[in-house]
Amino acid sequence: MTPEEQISKLLRLKRYEQPRPGYFEDFLQEFQARQRAELIRRPLWEIAWDRLVSLAPAIQVPRLAYATIVALAVAASAVIIVRPGAPVSSGTLAANRSTLSLTSPHSVTIGESVPVTLTSTGSPSVHYVLPTRPVSYASSRSF
Amino acid sequence: METPETPDEELVARTQAGDARAFDQLVVRFSPRLYGLVYNMTSNHEDTNDLLQDIFAKAYRSIKGFQGKSSFYTWMHSIAVNMAINFLKKRNRRMTMSLDDVDNGIANDPEFIEATSDYDPRHQANLGELQKKLNEAMMKLSDEHRTVVTMFDIQGMPHAEIAKILKISDGTVRSRLFYAHRQLQNYLQEFITT
Repeated sequence: MTPEEQISKLLRLKRYEQPRPGYFEDFLQEFQARQRAELIRRPLWEIAWDRLVSLAPAIQVPRLAYATIVALAVAASAVIIVRPGAPVSSGTLAANRSTLSLTSPHSVTIGESVPVTLTSTGSPSVHYVLPTRPVSYASSRSF
Repeated sequence: METPETPDEELVARTQAGDARAFDQLVVRFSPRLYGLVYNMTSNHEDTNDLLQDIFAKAYRSIKGFQGKSSFYTWMHSIAVNMAINFLKKRNRRMTMSLDDVDNGIANDPEFIEATSDYDPRHQANLGELQKKLNEAMMKLSDEHRTVVTMFDIQGMPHAEIAKILKISDGTVRSRLFYAHRQLQNYLQEFITT
């Protein structure tokens, strides 16, 4: 007999290791008791949900109703979280502050068309710094 | 009262429909076999008892999802093996052996008589010692190797069934068995005649 066969034979002897008589009958009782205990420990919402689901066929709730309710709840949550036209958060403002400077880093005189800043969208917006008050601003009554 | 001939599929269908008594029948039917599987993987009776409770509880919770793509036997064994391997990973080195009694029938088993008669008489071979040595040797194997040895050598499952349960190829089963047997030969040298 090869060593491999001898090992297999030895291992087969382990089949004789058995739990005490009556163990499997007790095992079933223990399992049933445990199942009942788990039922008692279940959270209230889980029991309520199970009852609702089991009642559903009796009260003729169409199957799609659940999906519709869930979809509506998700949509409502999305609207609440992402409100259109809601004020931008302070974090976003702080991030944009560097590009929204009202003062030019360097002054230019009229006639020069040098863009001094960018808009928050990144498109160039030309500003001019006038050295003197424009003529049109002068009062027509002053001589 | 259920007849032993009630097919597993029928009991499964009744359990899925909410009949807890049908599941009790499945527990009665499968617990001895699954006990053997888990016990030989853990070498500890108390751990086996706790694990077996968890295994059936998990099966009961998941049975509505069982679609019958494999046999219920394969499905139950997959749950048992996965849970036992996870348990062994957590238990790590804390293990202590707590062995079941050996059935008296072993004394008349020709394989036992042969194994102990060839044993070195200076060691006063006896049943308890052989049992201890066998279990110690099993526990020296890796979890994966012990699993295939338990399923093939102790439970007598065919390679194909083991491959299905463990979701590995037939070749992998054979290779694991080969290496496991080689290791066991080293650990149990004193019981092997060359």
